Amino acid sequence: MALTALICDDSLLARNQMKKSLPAAFDAEIVTATNGMEALEVLRGQEIGVVFLDLTMPELDGVGVLEAIKAEKMDVFVIVVSADIQPEMQKRVMDLGALAFIQKPVNTDKLSAVMRQYGLI
Amino acid sequence: MTDLSFTEEQRDCLQELINVAMGLASDKLARFLNTFVHLQVPAIGLVNAAEIPEQFRGQYQGQNSSMISLGFFGDGGLRGETILLYQLDNAGNIAALLGYDDDAASEAEMLTDISSILTTTFLNGLAEQLDNSFSYAAPRIISSRDSDFISKLEQTAFHWQLALKVDIRYELTDHSFDCNMILLIPGEAVLKLKTILDHVLAEF
Repeated sequence: MALTALICDDSLLARNQMKKSLPAAFDAEIVTATNGMEALEVLRGQEIGVVFLDLTMPELDGVGVLEAIKAEKMDVFVIVVSADIQPEMQKRVMDLGALAFIQKPVNTDKLSAVMRQYGLI
Repeated sequence: MTDLSFTEEQRDCLQELINVAMGLASDKLARFLNTFVHLQVPAIGLVNAAEIPEQFRGQYQGQNSSMISLGFFGDGGLRGETILLYQLDNAGNIAALLGYDDDAASEAEMLTDISSILTTTFLNGLAEQLDNSFSYAAPRIISSRDSDFISKLEQTAFHWQLALKVDIRYELTDHSFDCNMILLIPGEAVLKLKTILDHVLAEF
């Protein structure tokens, strides 16, 4: 059974860029969320294999989503995809359990390498 | 009358490009100051630029603020101005952190340095994503303590009638220092920007 991937970003452009950057070999159904609150609703309501998570978002930001995932012990891979590339932010999200940090705009080779590393493709 | 207003797709596209440019600028500032910059979603809107000096007077006159304005010029008529606004009351600890002396000349030097990190990095990042390149005018410092504050403000971009205004806030959580950046793009350049955004959107 193919897994379901969640793309969470407040920007439509960024969600579309993310979809287009996914490697062709990635066999997954894609669902989307436009802020952290929506993402948590999706995560609580259905089984999600991997989340591509933006950080700077209204309602609830990406750090808030990571904290909730940790607190609720959700079993999901999180790959952070963000323009907020400050060293302290990268450390913060990795400490909260993110698998990887990808800088926006997404470099498809880097994304593929990370996804291969974690057996997603 | 030409319609300068953005479609929702264009606004979303610009906001995302600005997000990426903000990310580059705040990363550079964070590394320069060895601190963390808290980023928020920027606010974008069309404004009547002629009203801005009056708004600024209400907000800043009598306060200890400085602004640095920087004009930029790109290919194909794309141009605009950034204005970085500081509240100086909390700039002292940043000055100390960076080893500037506590006098007016150093204050100007420090603000120019921070401004060049934030605005130039931001604008270069934006230009790259727009497949454009910007050149810059010499920065100008305007202090709210100047007696001719308003007339100086009026000599900046505000004679433009309609302008795109983007408010960006960089907040240094460790040092109670924040600054706001305003990006102003005049009417005819907004038309050019809309065309460029449509090209970016067509790729996705």
